[in-house]
Amino acid sequence: MLKINNLHAGVEGNEILKGINLEVNAGEIHAIMGPNGSGKSTLASVIAGKEEFEVTEGNVLLDGQDLEDSAPEDRAHKGIFMSFQYPVEIPGVSVTNFMKTAINESRKARGLEDMPANQMLKLIREKAELLEIDRKFLSRSLNEGFSGGEKKRNEIFQMAMLEPKLAILDETDSGLDIDALRIVANGVNKLKSKDNAVIIITHYQRLLDYIVPDYVHVLHEGKIVKSGTKELAHELEAKGYDWIKNGAVV
Amino acid sequence: MDLKDKLVSSFLAFESKVDVEHPVHDIRSEAIKNFEDKGFPSKKAEAWKYTSLKGLQKIDFSIFPKEVNALEYKEVKKFFLHEIETYKIVFIDGIYSSFLSETTHDGVDICLMSAALTKPMYKPVIDVYFNKIASKDESLTTLNTAFSREGAYIYIPKNKMPKKPIEILHFSTGNETSLMLQPRNLIIAEENAELQVIERHQSLTSNEVLTNSVTEIFAAENAIVDYYKVQNDSKAASLIDNTYINQKDKSVVKVHTFSFGGKLTRNNLNFFQNGEHIDSTMKGVTILSDKQHVDHHTLVHHIEPNCESHQDYKGIYGENSTGVFNGKIIVDKIAQKTNAFQKNNNILISDKATINTKPQLEIFADDVKCSHGCTIGQLDEEALFYLQSRGIPKKEARALLMYAFANNVLESVHIPELKSRINKLIALKLGVRLGFDL
Amino acid sequence: MAYTEEELKKELETKEYEYGFYTDIESDTLPVGLNEDIVVAISKKKEEPSWMTDWRLKAFKAWKEMEEPEWANVTYQKPDFQAISYYSAPNSKPKYDSLDEVDPELLDTFKKLGISLDEQKKLTGVAVDIVIDSVSVATTFKKTLAEKGIIFCSISEAIKEHPELVQKYIGSVVPQKDNFYAALNSAVFSDGSFCYIPKGVRCPMELSTYFRINQAGTGQFERTLVIADEGSYVSYLEGCTAPSRDENQLHAAVVELIALDGSEIKYSTVQNWFPGDKNGKGGVFNFVTKRGICEKNAKISWTQVETGSAITWKYPSCILKGDNSIGEFYSIAVTNNYQQADTGTKMVHLGKNTRSTIISKGISAGKSQNSYRGLVQVSSRAENARNFSQCDSLLMGNECGAHTFPYIEVKNKTAQIEHEATTSKIGEDQIFYCNQRGINTEKAIALIVNGFSKEVLNKLPMEFAVEAQKLLEISLEGSVG
Repeated sequence: MLKINNLHAGVEGNEILKGINLEVNAGEIHAIMGPNGSGKSTLASVIAGKEEFEVTEGNVLLDGQDLEDSAPEDRAHKGIFMSFQYPVEIPGVSVTNFMKTAINESRKARGLEDMPANQMLKLIREKAELLEIDRKFLSRSLNEGFSGGEKKRNEIFQMAMLEPKLAILDETDSGLDIDALRIVANGVNKLKSKDNAVIIITHYQRLLDYIVPDYVHVLHEGKIVKSGTKELAHELEAKGYDWIKNGAVV
Repeated sequence: MDLKDKLVSSFLAFESKVDVEHPVHDIRSEAIKNFEDKGFPSKKAEAWKYTSLKGLQKIDFSIFPKEVNALEYKEVKKFFLHEIETYKIVFIDGIYSSFLSETTHDGVDICLMSAALTKPMYKPVIDVYFNKIASKDESLTTLNTAFSREGAYIYIPKNKMPKKPIEILHFSTGNETSLMLQPRNLIIAEENAELQVIERHQSLTSNEVLTNSVTEIFAAENAIVDYYKVQNDSKAASLIDNTYINQKDKSVVKVHTFSFGGKLTRNNLNFFQNGEHIDSTMKGVTILSDKQHVDHHTLVHHIEPNCESHQDYKGIYGENSTGVFNGKIIVDKIAQKTNAFQKNNNILISDKATINTKPQLEIFADDVKCSHGCTIGQLDEEALFYLQSRGIPKKEARALLMYAFANNVLESVHIPELKSRINKLIALKLGVRLGFDL
Repeated sequence: MAYTEEELKKELETKEYEYGFYTDIESDTLPVGLNEDIVVAISKKKEEPSWMTDWRLKAFKAWKEMEEPEWANVTYQKPDFQAISYYSAPNSKPKYDSLDEVDPELLDTFKKLGISLDEQKKLTGVAVDIVIDSVSVATTFKKTLAEKGIIFCSISEAIKEHPELVQKYIGSVVPQKDNFYAALNSAVFSDGSFCYIPKGVRCPMELSTYFRINQAGTGQFERTLVIADEGSYVSYLEGCTAPSRDENQLHAAVVELIALDGSEIKYSTVQNWFPGDKNGKGGVFNFVTKRGICEKNAKISWTQVETGSAITWKYPSCILKGDNSIGEFYSIAVTNNYQQADTGTKMVHLGKNTRSTIISKGISAGKSQNSYRGLVQVSSRAENARNFSQCDSLLMGNECGAHTFPYIEVKNKTAQIEHEATTSKIGEDQIFYCNQRGINTEKAIALIVNGFSKEVLNKLPMEFAVEAQKLLEISLEGSVG
């Protein structure tokens, strides 16, 4: 599904990703771990198409198609979803209105009519229940005055609504208490199928107790320095990132 | 003869007292022409919509004092910040008093405008700075420029800091039935220089005094200027204070204005940010009673990117007093990443008091954070009740709440003795004997 | 690839004025210029009683002595008042029994504007009094209204049929001499709407008027008078679009609202006059005087969405004369290209316990200048007056300006006034967030602008809110973020 070949990317001439290779197939969950500043969030942003990052070498393929010239919204229409580490506030735009717009824009891109209101309502109700979200919450302005947990839950709610092919969860566990973490993880697990894939970007192993990855990759200084199965995450937790850092030097 | 005509015709007499060959005199001559054209501003002018100078123009002010008057230090000691050592530049009826003053030339120049305008050694500085940011168009500023001769001259060279704060004091003795004063100050802080100034105008009798003052302040790169205006003059003294401040990169200028006294006070405080990463702060506490009238006009012109300005004015208006606040912020097109904040909070405590406020924003750049907030209200009745129920008499409780209302302006006063002096003045003005700075 | 700023700008500039078309209907037009004879001729053509003629002449005399105001933050070539024709009426003047009799070309125009009368009749339940070039040609729902005793007709008709009401109230809120444009309007007003809601009646439908400027070189001088008698309620909608023209067109309307004891008037406007082209050529000059007076316990609520006009000069105001009366002003003003808007409100608190709310949202794009000018005045006798004002500006691009001039004058110690203003821009991170959810940049801007304006949009009646949202989108489509 997703294939990243020798990806080099940076911002204002400053190289952050220095040759990433990664392949994610349908039905898989990948965890990307690494210390702060290793390039985890940059990788997520580059896949989502954030313009401030410049790809200098290599490419990102989705279903064999190079994404280089795709605008962020086109990538979204193709099924890429990113759960933001810091979701943005948009005053005056309700969660419902935002989702309605997002869904109908994606449908338009696929040549479909707007989703009928009753169907939309049903979908919203269903997904809100999945994430244990109060309906009142949906009429509030997007992310404005949301607690950290509410913001993250809202991100996963949007993921549930948009049903992406590939979901990238960027530090979704940060700022979550244990209950919220369980709800979010539960949501992700329920949405998981053999046709979609998830990339979990995280600093800690905590979330991986709830969403069990098929593969774990360790990112350090813009490169994947180690790949393995979920045991690698436990090993990291036990030994700390210094273990990898030192290993990388050797 | 009305005041304008009197002033214009006095210019001839003035010329006999100054060196008309000096280049500064060309500036004076230009200025008097502008004043002659424009005269005193009327309420028709937008900037004078809420303040009338009509009454003052009817008074037959002496333009020059008839004689040189003297004062004993003990008569006026209480007006100085005598608790600490300060440099002092003191004027009596507009004439320098060497007896009361303490000036210096030790690494820094803290002395007289009359010297700076006449002695050749100051000419290079005067050429560069004198009348460079003061308006050549605003009539009262040009009136002052026309008669500019005396005032404070402060020059702090690169990396220097005077050993103590500087006090500029203007006393009026009342030996004239009515006197008009036009002090002219020039303050220059070169790179990394730092200084603190306290300015005060004090009339010692109930005779009419009108002061039309102009101060130019230049803060070079990284300079820090802390300026305090203590306006607690007698009920027959009026003040038009025009201050122009030019700031360069990374300089910090703070002006605090405490307006408690005087008949009519108009403060025109203008900041021009000619550099980046500049911080400009203007704060004020105004507490009025009787028929007092205080008008604060501030202007911050954000000319370059990445600068900040902060304004915080608190006003408490009692009896028949009138308060005016007009704060203008201009953000030029290239002044991106400007942060400009303005706050004006007012309390009316009398049925006959008036407040007119006009916070104004003119924004031409898109990536900026600008906000202004303005409130007019009363003391919190519940808080008042709470204090009373704890045994604090109503009058003191009210004073305490008013003090609390004004307090955050005082927090940034960096001279502790001045802060406690202001506290006392506030208590005095509110008619209570509370020691606020507990 | 996403839009670059340049591409967005270009697209915006080439966006033609949506309703830029011209209807070719023969008109009956007076010679250009203005003098007493013209004023009398207008009055005569309209078969007005002599008191009305005298009233107009008095206004004309006042106007001659007045000067065009210059204090607003706008610059423009002053109109030549002697080069304007002050009266034009469509030739097919008689009123029709049914829409079938109306000039088909006219009906076609309405269709282009999206105001098919048939549809409106059937679907919206809105009575429409259409003013095309100053004379009303169709009025619907009159009967339903008449049953309730509601009078809703053209002002010309009201002058003839209800002189006692018109004579009593016209000029009572906006006197002839009030200001330069109001005086001009008083002298030459061609037509407009009149509305009277009797005591205790709640008007069962939204009353609406559509204005259009249609005759080249013809100024439009509408006069609207709305009277809500004691305890009544009315919601009045006003919307306008105008054909695209090269030369400037002057629009100087006067709206007077009278809210008697315990009544409520809700007056909503969506204004989309031709704003001029991307070079600032052409466009309507919109110099409007709108004011309402509130008696005891009455309420007036102004809501406006201003997207059009080359120059807008407009301050819908409330005189809160009666105790416990309420004034509200909710405004969205969008300026783009070379548009200039100087708009805001005056809330004059005279009575006790009077309350006012001001919410103003200014959106500037292109090379436009957008000013909020407001006055909150609390007189010495207005005990317990309350005001809350909020003025937010959104700047798009770096060639426009946003200005706020709020005047606050308080003479009573029990007043509580709060004023807040902020300036912001659309964040790149907001755009990217929307993009990532599949929403393109243009749509994202529309969404964010709508969010910014929500507090005001919410105040509009439903069908108007939709139209207003569309207008915002059209006006800002492609604007830089």
